[in-house]
Amino acid sequence: MASIIDIKEECALHVRNFEFTYKGTEAPSLKKITMPIAKHSITALIGPSGCGKTTLLRSFNRMHDLYPGNTYAGEIEFEGRNILGSKEDLIHLRTKIGMIFQKPTAFPMSIFDNVAYGLRLQGLKNKTELNDRVEKALKDAAIWKEVGERLKHDANGLSGGQQQRLCIARAIAVEPEVLLFDEPTSALDPISTQGIERLIIELKERVSIIIVTHNMQQAARVSDYTGFMYLGELIELGETEKLFVTPKEKLTQEYITGKFG
Amino acid sequence: MTAVQKRVVINKLALAFSTLSALIALGFLFWILGVLVMKGVSALNWNIFIFEGAPPGYAESGLKHALVGQAILIGMATAIGVPLGILAGTYLSEYGKNSKLAHTIRDISDIMMSAPSIVIGAFVYAVVVMPMGHFSAWAGAIALGIIMIPIILRTTDDMLQLVPGELREAAFALGAPKYKVILSVVYRGAKAGILTGVLLGIARVGGETAPLLFTSFNDNFFTTNLNEAMPSLTVTIFNYATSPYEDWQQLGWAAAFILSMFILGLNILGRLILLAGKKRK
Repeated sequence: MASIIDIKEECALHVRNFEFTYKGTEAPSLKKITMPIAKHSITALIGPSGCGKTTLLRSFNRMHDLYPGNTYAGEIEFEGRNILGSKEDLIHLRTKIGMIFQKPTAFPMSIFDNVAYGLRLQGLKNKTELNDRVEKALKDAAIWKEVGERLKHDANGLSGGQQQRLCIARAIAVEPEVLLFDEPTSALDPISTQGIERLIIELKERVSIIIVTHNMQQAARVSDYTGFMYLGELIELGETEKLFVTPKEKLTQEYITGKFG
Repeated sequence: MTAVQKRVVINKLALAFSTLSALIALGFLFWILGVLVMKGVSALNWNIFIFEGAPPGYAESGLKHALVGQAILIGMATAIGVPLGILAGTYLSEYGKNSKLAHTIRDISDIMMSAPSIVIGAFVYAVVVMPMGHFSAWAGAIALGIIMIPIILRTTDDMLQLVPGELREAAFALGAPKYKVILSVVYRGAKAGILTGVLLGIARVGGETAPLLFTSFNDNFFTTNLNEAMPSLTVTIFNYATSPYEDWQQLGWAAAFILSMFILGLNILGRLILLAGKKRK
């Protein structure tokens, strides 16, 4: 019943018959989801609150494992293996699949230490290399001009938009393959939102991006593919332009024209 | 008199009574502080810091023995109570969370916090002093350390729980193992609160007398031997103040003044750190 397009280009992730059940609940919150995620492109997940889009996003880096009792079924293929396996090295996985959260999550330390955090975790100690990588990440996240002169300052002194770009710099410093964005601009003003959106589009040169958003215009502006979710199911996945103009499913049509949600 | 006028009068009376009660309560506090400052400051002189205890009537008598003893006891108690309290609080907030065990520990800890300190002294007397056969600084420090644990455990638990969950998730999302998340992100976020808890814990045990009476006991002479009875400011205050000798009573006032200022200072410092931490956010 769902309408899922077949992506011809190379894929970063393959979700197959994926189900997710929260601890203490009977029915799965995500039901039989199958979707390809194209490499070096942006896939947006849209849908009304509670449809499971954030739950799906947090499955890609297995964030649900932080809270015991949740169960996965099916398969998420990444780099030729099913990352849902019990032997999966989550620390390694999370360096390959990074995440940006809804609220900026600057750590209570200096700007430099924030960006160096992931690099140091990987054992990078060489000062020159550390400096270079931090500078590069900040430049790539389009925030170097604002903070280059005050790397030693407390990161909590930055504005919300700056903090969010700092978090992006921190995530890309470790050079992940995939970046997950969980409503990254919902706590930001329109100008900062614009900056983040521009940055996300630039980043797809190097990483594959999945973004959860409440804002359909945002999905239309930034993404190449859009998936519409409803009640834990993926109703439709298509090229963004086509999905918003000529949706194949009635539910999608109703949602994007504002009939519900 | 109309109903409204009646309510206005009752309102004014209630306000007057509660204000008066507050003033009386504060009055006692300032009375205590006033007497302490008057008697204590006049009893202060350099000899206090230079000489140890002496029999009554000797000019060269001071509090050096009690000051150093107090510092040793508090230092050792801190070394026992702070790591245990912080680690236990970390377990509750980061590992135990809402488990049955964690709730049981929290409840027991709360009960311990209100346990009479003399009971803890009696416990240490039974398990440390009796087997050793004599009083010791160790026993005193263990008693104070035990009193400190629930205070620091509770503040650590509370302060760590105030660190937003998103911050932990963000660190996990970068591939940090759990111990690193706690050490490098969670502790940093709760630094000011934990430090305040530690200072308040030290302040709390700094004024304890009862548990020391049968653990470290007291000594009128200077010692750094941890296996012997060790003088403390509090027990010295008790002995000197209740003695019939004028010069000992003077030393007692001086000791009371120094101890009070130390505890007051710790409390103020603790609050300042907490305020500074709040302002940064």
